[in-house]
Amino acid sequence: MSAEEQYAQETEPSLDANLLKELSKKALVDALNSVNGSKTLVLDPSLAGPLGLLTEVALLKQHGVDKMYWLERGPLTSGTTNIVYLCRSRVNHAKIIADHIKRHAKESLKYNYTLLLVPRLSSLVSRLLEEEGVLGDITITAYGMQFLPIADDVLSLEYESVFKDIWVDGDETVLYDSAQALITLQKLFGLFPRLLGKGDHASRLIKLLTTYLDQSRDSSIPDALSEPSSKFNSLIVLDRRVDMITPLLTQLTYEGLIDELLGIKNSHVEIPASLVNPPQNAPTDSPAALPTGTSSNSLRKENKKKYHLSSSDSLFNELRDLNFSHVGKHLNIVARRLDDDYKTSLQSKTTAQLRDFVERLRGRLYSEHQSLRIHTGISELLVPMTRTEQFNKSLEIQQNLLASYNVSEQISSIEEMIAKGADIETVVRLLCLASITSGGIKAKALENIKREFLQAYGYNFLPLLLSLAAPSLAILMPNPLPPSTPLAVQASRYPFASLRKSLRLLIDDNPEAMDEVENDISFVYSGYAPISVRLVQCVAQKGGVLSNPAEKEKAAIASNGSKNNAQAGGKVQAHPIVGWKGFEDILATIPGKIVDEVQNPVGVATPLGGIARPKDKAMTTVVFFLGGCTYTEIAALRWVARQHRGRNFLIATTGIITGSSIVDEIAGIQKTMAGPKDAGI
Amino acid sequence: MSEHPTTSWQAMQNGTVFYRRQQLYSIMGKLPDLGDYIIAGCRYGGPLAMMRDNTKLIAVGRATPAHAKSQIQVYSSAGEGLLLFSWENSRIIRFGWTLDERLVVLNEEGIYRIYDLQGDYQQYSLGSEASEVGVVDARIYENGLVALTGSLTLLEVKGWDGARPMTLANPGLSDPPLSWAIIPPDLNISRHVEVFLSVENTIYTVDNLESVDQRLSQGPFTHVSPSPNGKSLALLNAAGTLLVISSDFQRHMAEFDTLNVPSAQGNVKQVEWCGNDAIVVTWDSLAVLVGPFADTLQYLYVGNTFAITETDGVRIFGADVCDLIQKVPASTLAIFRPGSTSPAAILFDAWENFSQRSPKAHENIKSIRPELAAAVDRCIDAAGQEWEPYWQRRLLSAAKFGQGFLDLHNPTDFINMGQTLKVLNAVRFYEIGIPLTYAQYSYTSPTHLISRLTSRNMHFLALRISTYLSLKSDVVLKHWASAKILRTRSTTGGTDKDSESNGDDEVCRLIVDKFKQLGGVEVSYAEIAKRAWEVGRTGLATKLLDHEKRASDQVPLLLSMKEDRLALQKAVDSGDTDLVYQVLLHLHKHLTLGSFFRLIEDGGEQLAPASRLLQVYAREQDRDMLRDFYYSDDRRVESAVLALEEASRMKDPAARIAAVKSAQKFFSEDKDRSFEAKMMDESSRLLGLQQQLEGEADGKVVFFGLSVTETIRACILNGMLKRADKIKSDFKVPDKRFWYTKLDALTEVRDFEGLDTFSKSKRSPIGYEPFVRHLIEKGHNKEAVTYVARCDPPKRADLYADCDEWRMVGKECKERGDKAKLEELRKRCPNSLIARELEQLAMSMK
Repeated sequence: MSAEEQYAQETEPSLDANLLKELSKKALVDALNSVNGSKTLVLDPSLAGPLGLLTEVALLKQHGVDKMYWLERGPLTSGTTNIVYLCRSRVNHAKIIADHIKRHAKESLKYNYTLLLVPRLSSLVSRLLEEEGVLGDITITAYGMQFLPIADDVLSLEYESVFKDIWVDGDETVLYDSAQALITLQKLFGLFPRLLGKGDHASRLIKLLTTYLDQSRDSSIPDALSEPSSKFNSLIVLDRRVDMITPLLTQLTYEGLIDELLGIKNSHVEIPASLVNPPQNAPTDSPAALPTGTSSNSLRKENKKKYHLSSSDSLFNELRDLNFSHVGKHLNIVARRLDDDYKTSLQSKTTAQLRDFVERLRGRLYSEHQSLRIHTGISELLVPMTRTEQFNKSLEIQQNLLASYNVSEQISSIEEMIAKGADIETVVRLLCLASITSGGIKAKALENIKREFLQAYGYNFLPLLLSLAAPSLAILMPNPLPPSTPLAVQASRYPFASLRKSLRLLIDDNPEAMDEVENDISFVYSGYAPISVRLVQCVAQKGGVLSNPAEKEKAAIASNGSKNNAQAGGKVQAHPIVGWKGFEDILATIPGKIVDEVQNPVGVATPLGGIARPKDKAMTTVVFFLGGCTYTEIAALRWVARQHRGRNFLIATTGIITGSSIVDEIAGIQKTMAGPKDAGI
Repeated sequence: MSEHPTTSWQAMQNGTVFYRRQQLYSIMGKLPDLGDYIIAGCRYGGPLAMMRDNTKLIAVGRATPAHAKSQIQVYSSAGEGLLLFSWENSRIIRFGWTLDERLVVLNEEGIYRIYDLQGDYQQYSLGSEASEVGVVDARIYENGLVALTGSLTLLEVKGWDGARPMTLANPGLSDPPLSWAIIPPDLNISRHVEVFLSVENTIYTVDNLESVDQRLSQGPFTHVSPSPNGKSLALLNAAGTLLVISSDFQRHMAEFDTLNVPSAQGNVKQVEWCGNDAIVVTWDSLAVLVGPFADTLQYLYVGNTFAITETDGVRIFGADVCDLIQKVPASTLAIFRPGSTSPAAILFDAWENFSQRSPKAHENIKSIRPELAAAVDRCIDAAGQEWEPYWQRRLLSAAKFGQGFLDLHNPTDFINMGQTLKVLNAVRFYEIGIPLTYAQYSYTSPTHLISRLTSRNMHFLALRISTYLSLKSDVVLKHWASAKILRTRSTTGGTDKDSESNGDDEVCRLIVDKFKQLGGVEVSYAEIAKRAWEVGRTGLATKLLDHEKRASDQVPLLLSMKEDRLALQKAVDSGDTDLVYQVLLHLHKHLTLGSFFRLIEDGGEQLAPASRLLQVYAREQDRDMLRDFYYSDDRRVESAVLALEEASRMKDPAARIAAVKSAQKFFSEDKDRSFEAKMMDESSRLLGLQQQLEGEADGKVVFFGLSVTETIRACILNGMLKRADKIKSDFKVPDKRFWYTKLDALTEVRDFEGLDTFSKSKRSPIGYEPFVRHLIEKGHNKEAVTYVARCDPPKRADLYADCDEWRMVGKECKERGDKAKLEELRKRCPNSLIARELEQLAMSMK
């Protein structure tokens, strides 16, 4: 089955995630309109990306935004009497704002200040403004930007550094925000009939969700919160601690690899400008109206350009979830098809046929051609990067560690990588992977490699090593654990070896067979199935955990002869959601609490699982990743969704992560690659 | 039997339009003389607030005693006294009513208080600027106010929660306006308040952006009055001409000369609107209704009058009556107009015939068969417009009679109207005194009516009505509970502590029971608890607060009750980090640092999230506090990390080394951290060495802050090879890493000779393949070749191929007799010449 056919499957009406986008957009417009007249918008750079997913500059202009500046230190001059600040509730931002206001007061300039705080009001910010003595000069309102759809089936809060906030700093703000966002989701589409979760923080989130749900019910008006949804069948919350292994591995799908090697930020990737040019007329590609920063920092240095990896690009939709080894082939097929299209049209005889061709040339063919050119360009960028010694060595170590093959030799290999000056992120990822999969690294070896690490990258990374070993994270531990370790940490050792067996994590696929069909979610890591998605399968595709259903399907195809018949008949109806049933034992071995709750509307006691629904109606299972998810996990979940009739997934996350982004967060490394000065709007 | 509805009608515009004057209440002797008072009336049948007008003389010895202080009295529409309070602050500028029937009183210092009908108030201020220059006048509307300051600028306050006043555009006046008015934001297209100032001969319109001169010439205007829907303005000029224009100043709608009114004496007192299409101009004991075409109706009163604009009419108080004057509604007109032949009139007629057992009823019905449904609806509507229950009942009966002839008719309207009228009749009763019309009731909603009743402490009626209309009763219950707490205090006040606590228990139980019994599940106990706390009943407040589910409501009160630990605990449990911060900031401010830390540390695991949040906050905001916090808790590792973080920000080398050393000290105090301590020791040693190196390099090379590997590299790049070796031995750098580093550095400076010497210095610990690979990678193929010979024999052929040395590939393969390899590599050949050569070679091999 080619990817093309997989996508050609009948798309069952799922829920419209764009509704959320419209909500956020309207809220923004209302907030802007509440300030009369033209205004100067001062924007928090970290919001530029998310905002770019939401709206265009033109819309802001329509609603009276005269000029836009970045929120940064230094003087601010405004041509309008209204200044609107839009920023996340951080104390640093408040400091800058207070500074602006005081400066203006000194120069006796009078402005109307409005502060829109994302996602809600913060007592820290108001306290700071109060201490600075400017609270009285500024009107503060909240702008509740929550889930943003970054694809048709993916919602993201687009938070940065969530992983560090929760598991290093212990700041659980994001749990509260996530609970509120999930309540908004339920306000639109109804209650999740069932809440499932794995992990201590997942359990806490679910608890918050139910508490605040009670409180956000408007007593007088019956709304979607008072009845179970006709669209959702459950919510599965997984916190990142439950599966730390997956993000540590190198992603091997097309989109995942782009994120690993080039970096994707808010669905935008930076590629050489020559690839994006000649400029297209697509609306996603209009950086001409970029806000001008007050600093001299040029927005288009290095001749790089942002390209929106959007799900409206049909070729990208076909490619994004493929294992990178298949991408070249697929591009070839598309190129040939396009070529054929051109050729057939050259044979057109009548003027009518010609006109038809020209029309197509301008429309579909043109855009297809463009996107083919760009994606070929991107894969050409990627190929040499996947040929480097570091990349392949790292892959090899990963595979060996997953198979627990000669661990001590892998540690020496990592040491050698340090000696050769490999990226700090790669090294940390491998070290943590070694620690988790083998239950800790031998104390002597660990101490030695830590010393090597500090000497090679700098002693200033000592706090990073301490954070990784801290009880809340514990992903770089000695074996055996020192006697002073808290009991909780000793108990939370990850049972990788047993999971490898019970969840069938490693699939012995020979490479030829892989070419034929993607049998299992393990295709995303070329033979390794991400635990997080396996856990989702434990709820939503129980058979898929035990064996490869696609193999059966393949047999069916063979016996049926005709592929199309098999597609219509071969897809199984999704089984109803019955919680973790059947996998409770396995789940219990993984550290972290297990949640399985039935959510009833107020006052009405619905018997468990007895919610009647039309049989053929597609139901959506929402999977929420607390602490972020990778593109690969999204790809794997999409694969699971394709195996069934009657089940769609809506993936919600606090943000998109890679192993490297986690390491950077914890180490406090600022990636200069994208530069905060760049906005996608 | 009541009088026929038409008896109160008066015709206008040649009998096409009728106005009716409905006497609401007889208030003989209940109100003081309206002429001596400044009065503010509340819309929707609300009360009157009155204050003695000190500019007027008053006959001594009358019933009203003379007061030195200002005193405000509030009367219901039926003349019942609701409230009386005196005002100790400086001079009152103006008072007016909010939408929810609270009285706003503004004084000349810009202080305003919002009184509810029980006399409780909140106080806010218009800001320091307003208090300096003073406030000279204000206009108060339902959801805000606009004040005119002493410097003749305009300040706007939106809402009644003490919002910050906004400055409107400066109209640049030199004298106060002769008169002025505002149109509230919700009635304007711009959704912002609009102010009309009468200045000289013209009107200025002012909003928050600009002030515009509308260039009228008929001024100066003594009265400016906008219509209830904000679409039109009535202006009265000094010459006595009443102008009606649209509020955008585009259209003149009517003009009327008030001097021509025959019985008018003296000055015009008020210009008010009667609904949206007629204007009432009042003089002493006379009200003249001016219609859209300048036709007039005159109404005579005894004594002074006061008129209040309503959305569907005008309420006029005389000395002995309270009247409602309004245009006769269409449905009433259709039924009761003499000689009306509308279907509704015929239906009503039919019903009258039917009740008199006259056969004409059947004929009547037959004649209007097609329009019967519409006629029924009209009768229902007309019932709503009638004041007398007698006529309401008759009209509803007629509707019911008509319904009987219809096969399918939705009875919802009929039922609703019946219910509504029952409610309206109840509240119109003089003891309650809310003369609400059906239209006003529909506009303001039943819940609004309920809150008006509760604010009058009429809980029982409010509860009955809300149950009757199946509304949630929690609002009423909440208000009742607050009132209950206030009342019980006065009974138990002054007794000993024990009985007070018993009283608390009882009141708490009483309230909770009542809530449970009446199904007020979502009642917020926090508000009630706050009430109890405000009147000094802490025990009761705590007990009530226990029943509160929302932490965000609970916590602030707990804080003000000084229940610090509990507040923090509840905030942590809520998972709302902002709430935790609120508590932390509050405690940090109010407690000593020591007890603040102790509170958090003693909390153990339960308060751990708060402790972590404090650290996050302090790391950004208050590092000194964080240092103390770690120190007081003996957290050595955290202290060390903090020192390191600071070190990484320091520019000054000496300070940085000191910081690293202090980190080292912290680590060394923890016996499990000997490794870290050792590393920090190395780190400070390295920094010292780097300082020295920079000196040696005359400051041309930056060493400070580099890692060990980077330092070695930098040494080699700058030719300080000896130094590099020294660092290697000082820091026990393993051979492998040293070799890789040196290989890279020498390649970068293209010191191939040096590289050669280095490679021969001893047997390479990394082998020679990395040499080849690295040189190829950096594009030095020629140099790479020399190292191939020193690699493992089986790999050489491939490596030669990578170096583009094809002859050597051939040679190597031949030597090893590896034909397969040769064949394989031949495919990669760059040109046919070499390919052929290799082919020949392959042929020669066996």
